[in-house]
Amino acid sequence: MPISRLSLLIKPRFMGFRNQIRLSGKSRRRKALVLAGLGLVFCGIIFFLSARVLLHFKSVEIIGDLLSHHLLSMILLTFFSLLIFSHIITALSNLYLSGDLQLCHAMPVSLEEVFISRAAFTLMDSSWMPMAFGLPIFLAYGYVYRPGPGFYLALIHMNLAMAVIAAGIGILVTMILVHVFPAQRTRDLIMLLSVMMLVFLYFLFRFLRPERLVNPESFFTVAQYMSALKAPQSSYLPTQWVSDTLWAALNGARPGSYVFNIALTWTTAAALFFINVWAARGLYFEGYSKSQEAKKRFSAGKRLLDYAVGVLTRPFGEDLGAIIGKDVRTFFRDNSQWSQLLLLGALIVVYVYNFSVLPLDKSPMRVEFLQNELAFLNMGLAGFVLSAVCARFVFPAVSAEGEAYWIVRSSPIRLKRYLWGKYAFFLLPMLCMAEVLIIATNRLLEVTPFMMVLSTLTMFFMVFGVVALGIGLGALYPSFKHQNIARVATGFGGVLYMIVSSLFIVLIVVLEAGPVYILFLSDVQGTTIAAGQWVFILLSFLAVLFLNALAVFWPMNMGLRALEQYE
Amino acid sequence: MIKLIDLTKEYRGLRAVNRVNLVVGKGTVFGFLGPNGAGKTTTIKMMAGILKPSAGRILINHRDLAEHPTLVKGWVGFVPDRPFVYEKLSGLEFLRFIAGLYRLNHAEKTENHILELLEYFDLVHWKDELIESYSHGMRQRLVMCSALIHRPKVVIVDEPMVGLDPRAARIVKNTFRERAALGTTVFMSTHSLEVAEEVCDEIAIIQEGRIIAQGTPESLRAKTGVDGNLEHIFLKLTEGKSIAHKPSFSSH
Repeated sequence: MPISRLSLLIKPRFMGFRNQIRLSGKSRRRKALVLAGLGLVFCGIIFFLSARVLLHFKSVEIIGDLLSHHLLSMILLTFFSLLIFSHIITALSNLYLSGDLQLCHAMPVSLEEVFISRAAFTLMDSSWMPMAFGLPIFLAYGYVYRPGPGFYLALIHMNLAMAVIAAGIGILVTMILVHVFPAQRTRDLIMLLSVMMLVFLYFLFRFLRPERLVNPESFFTVAQYMSALKAPQSSYLPTQWVSDTLWAALNGARPGSYVFNIALTWTTAAALFFINVWAARGLYFEGYSKSQEAKKRFSAGKRLLDYAVGVLTRPFGEDLGAIIGKDVRTFFRDNSQWSQLLLLGALIVVYVYNFSVLPLDKSPMRVEFLQNELAFLNMGLAGFVLSAVCARFVFPAVSAEGEAYWIVRSSPIRLKRYLWGKYAFFLLPMLCMAEVLIIATNRLLEVTPFMMVLSTLTMFFMVFGVVALGIGLGALYPSFKHQNIARVATGFGGVLYMIVSSLFIVLIVVLEAGPVYILFLSDVQGTTIAAGQWVFILLSFLAVLFLNALAVFWPMNMGLRALEQYE
Repeated sequence: MIKLIDLTKEYRGLRAVNRVNLVVGKGTVFGFLGPNGAGKTTTIKMMAGILKPSAGRILINHRDLAEHPTLVKGWVGFVPDRPFVYEKLSGLEFLRFIAGLYRLNHAEKTENHILELLEYFDLVHWKDELIESYSHGMRQRLVMCSALIHRPKVVIVDEPMVGLDPRAARIVKNTFRERAALGTTVFMSTHSLEVAEEVCDEIAIIQEGRIIAQGTPESLRAKTGVDGNLEHIFLKLTEGKSIAHKPSFSSH
């Protein structure tokens, strides 16, 4: 297989990326720098938090190192499962749905070359983000354990091997599923994949039982605790080989002692590569050809959708209603969009499940303290869940117009009305989701009525800001030329949105922390609150309201201006 | 009906449209011709309110587009050169969506008008199919329907014949003539000089962002001294001489 032709097939992606950088204007370069800066800050926070946790673990005698090792295995297993599913989704678009595939298949290149080039794109698209955000955690291990250069070398090549293995599994699963299911039934295929992911995530969390890390003292003996920690490990899992290699390198073991694990990982990666190429000869083109066949006439659920659109668009008036109706129809007919609802379901199930298994009664801390601390933390965490959901659904709302944006632009609808209409449309479902999430988890934590009211109200106001950030930044960084709407959230603007909205949530929680602590202490200890403290409490809550208002109007105005000037 | 005053558009120092001045009367079919990259699409996008001019004004029905964008856009029907539409809607749903954007209510009258247009443009049998299964020509016809749905005073069309079969092309040409007879102004850019000759009352030729000639085909013939069809006039006015002297491929 000539390497030069393969590199030719891969080249356009890099050339496009290079041209984007080279030909981008000053403002775009500035934006990229800002994003890089924010990304570094975000990575810095992850690094700092990870290092704190690891230093704490290290201070625990006997089991401290075991905890760190276990945490490393958990992180790697989580990354690995995320990578596999990310590869399945990306492989579907890169191998079967991408617009330039027609050109590639029409060229005098072999099927293997097209397949390998697409698999390479899939590997790159799916891996860069988990790797980028995972790096600070691994670097924190390096900071705490001070290993030699062998660790960093192993970190690079073992993570790469793990990504290749995940790609191999993900792409193979995609090829088999597309082959088994007729192309017209991709909807069922994605449904199956999503349900599989739900089940997998559930088992993953049941296996890992993160709650056991909370309270080692509750175990009868150290030996019992250690055996419990060791339970989920499996010598057949590639993550175990990676974890053992990294751990050995971290502790300064001789490279000879972990070379077997390295060989095992890399031979698995190589074997999966060849198995994929071999499988592609039989499966890939047939699947691709099926996906090109004429689309099926739609009829299923049309009446129900018509009714839903009629109800949903009623409050919005003729023009805005038309846009929202179009968005709702497109959402439910586009597999890449509606299938994300299932992922959202998985996210919420896992989130709520975690709270249901927290062993509060085993904690050495007073229960009411812990419950309220967790309730407070829960506000932030629920905020992050909300951000993640908005990144998937709200942020791409403007980009969802795609290349048909000219219709909105040339129509008589005002952009201001258009943008605020999209905002209004997403507000209610996001409010419902966020409130249900916070109330359900608070009930599981059995928090005090004060914390329940405070977190419900905080979340209520936070939703206004988080949704506005999504719509506003989505308009500021629209991607009308996307090939797959699901990828908009992982682009430049999507990452920026996640960072900005996370910072917004952190700021809100930090602003409320002081006053809540004062109120909580006075309640528990029965002390009175001084006048100065009341002023501080009032100012803090006013600052929270101000920040919320800022988060609503600032991004919306910026987004509106950007859309008006979009050419 | 349409008046462009010193219309200019600059992209990073490059002047794509350079002080264009045009007046198009009511009920006229106006052909906008020019070589590739001359500034036709840029001008049309500015007239449709998609691009913001760097300088100059666009008046439609005596109203400035920049000052009254909503009002003016409500009078215009726009057909772009590439018919990007919402793939996941059916043809009928798409037209209802457009009717909603122009605030035409769901009355029977609108619904009937939509069906009439679908019938006229030979799409009625496909009305319940998702647009993603439409061919290029079908999409082009659908966008044509959407541009006429609100009975516009002005229709702006960028390359209307690309991808159309002869039957569809005939329908489009007839539509332009019929609408013009009813008082609608049609402003269209085209590469097809036969179409321009057949349909247009008046023509302007743009080159390197500037209008280099304007008038009826007859007046242009008289002005250039070329006694042939529009192609000869076009070549004479643009790059005719250089093309005429270029060696053909077969001579190599």
